[in-house]
Amino acid sequence: MTGYDELEPQTPELVRPYVITKGRGLPDEDQLSLITLVTAVADHRQRPTRLSPEEQNLLDLCSAGYLSVAEIAGHTQLPLGVVKILLAALTEGGYLITRPPVQRAPLADRDILEEVLNGLRAKFG
Amino acid sequence: MTHYIPDPVAGILLVAVIAAIALVVRQRRAARALRQEIDGLRSHYSELENQYAQSVQTAQERADDATKTVLKSAMRTLQGLAAEQQLIVSRLQTKYGESVILQDLLEIDHTNSQFGRRAQSIAVLCDGWLGRQRDVASVYDVVRSAQGRIRHYRRVEILSQVDFGITSRAVEPVALALAELLDNATSYSSPDTVVEINIRTVPKGICIVVDDAGVGMNDEERARAEKLLSTERVSGVAGLGNPPQFGFAVIGVLAERFGFEVSVDSTSPYGGVRAVLLLPHDLLTSAPEQREPAPVLPTVATTASLGGPEPALGGTTTADGLPKRRRKRPMAVVPSTPSAAPAPSLPPAAPAGASRRSGAESAAIMGAFQRGTQSGRATQADTDMTSSTRGASSEGHEIS
Repeated sequence: MTGYDELEPQTPELVRPYVITKGRGLPDEDQLSLITLVTAVADHRQRPTRLSPEEQNLLDLCSAGYLSVAEIAGHTQLPLGVVKILLAALTEGGYLITRPPVQRAPLADRDILEEVLNGLRAKFG
Repeated sequence: MTHYIPDPVAGILLVAVIAAIALVVRQRRAARALRQEIDGLRSHYSELENQYAQSVQTAQERADDATKTVLKSAMRTLQGLAAEQQLIVSRLQTKYGESVILQDLLEIDHTNSQFGRRAQSIAVLCDGWLGRQRDVASVYDVVRSAQGRIRHYRRVEILSQVDFGITSRAVEPVALALAELLDNATSYSSPDTVVEINIRTVPKGICIVVDDAGVGMNDEERARAEKLLSTERVSGVAGLGNPPQFGFAVIGVLAERFGFEVSVDSTSPYGGVRAVLLLPHDLLTSAPEQREPAPVLPTVATTASLGGPEPALGGTTTADGLPKRRRKRPMAVVPSTPSAAPAPSLPPAAPAGASRRSGAESAAIMGAFQRGTQSGRATQADTDMTSSTRGASSEGHEIS
């Protein structure tokens, strides 16, 4: 029986992640992806006192400028999904602004390009 | 002859009287003997009765002790397993934090916490192991830990916070007692109501007030609860009823052993029960420091004054060894000159770079631009066919 302490060197976290997220579900991937940029709303005075320490901490992290979701998760010790849930909730509450990552330029339609090329060849070639 | 007559009569009378006296004396003696015998029997009987009651009690105590011992070691095993599983689930949550599995992992975690708490409660009643000792934690975190151990944790709302911590010795017992209170509060109120928690500072220490909007307790239940919370409760798991009601018995044991007070004798503003857990000052400390890294704002200022290209890596790290990323404040304004690269977050540096460009460099760019437009307007198609507009812009930069 004394072997227990050697077998378990760490104690489980006191506050479980599902309590931190208050049981909310994961946000959509297109709402918050790993590279979505997040920053705090400039006006700090409207920040309420009823946020949990984790949420306050996230707001503090984001207050200095745009950070990606992946970076924010790296700075906290929480699972990425949990951070996403909190960020989504804070965004819904109007404390954070998210900015979707810059879209890659869409590939032009191959047919159109070919037609243009054909036209150019017909005219100049 | 006549004077002889009374003689025999008197003689007979005398004999009769003597006989009667003798009889009475004998009777009386016999009665006394009987009475003595009865007394003796009675005392013997009561003695026997006492012995019987005593042996029954001893047998019962022995049986209780045996049950306790068995349950204690069984619960110890279960608690160990629950804690182990919690660690595994935590590891999985970190590992699969990105995927949708996380949602299910959180559910498993929740069920496992309830399972652990049940085992813990029974262990407490059997004078068993409470679990591993925790670090000092803030009152708010202990309340949230308790919240996580019950089924309907979503219905619990914490309305206030205080800047106090709970000593490491008391973290687990307070969390467990509060979890039992919350379990009662959520089970005896309707599923669409909220259970409120208020944390208040009082002269004696800190009060954690739990208000539910249930139907409250009747007099009988209240009396039972008060008896279980007081010191005159029966120990062990006997007498908890079927189905067993652990709550108040567990709270009573914990409150007595760790020196806090619990009362459930008032009514909540919503008509249900108001439970108050009073933590005295000797269970309280100052709030523990946050383990999460502090806001990064000040370091931005220091690294910005250094200047130079990206020196911040390794310069500043967070508490858990991660390198802090220097933040470029205006994300949209990215300096395009690769040669100069002044500190991007330094506002005065930008005009300096611009003024430097205004010399020969900008003249070259303008020249390239002009050449580009000229070649575009030129009628010789063959020379221009290969260069697209993108190529032209990159050409301009190459010349500079």
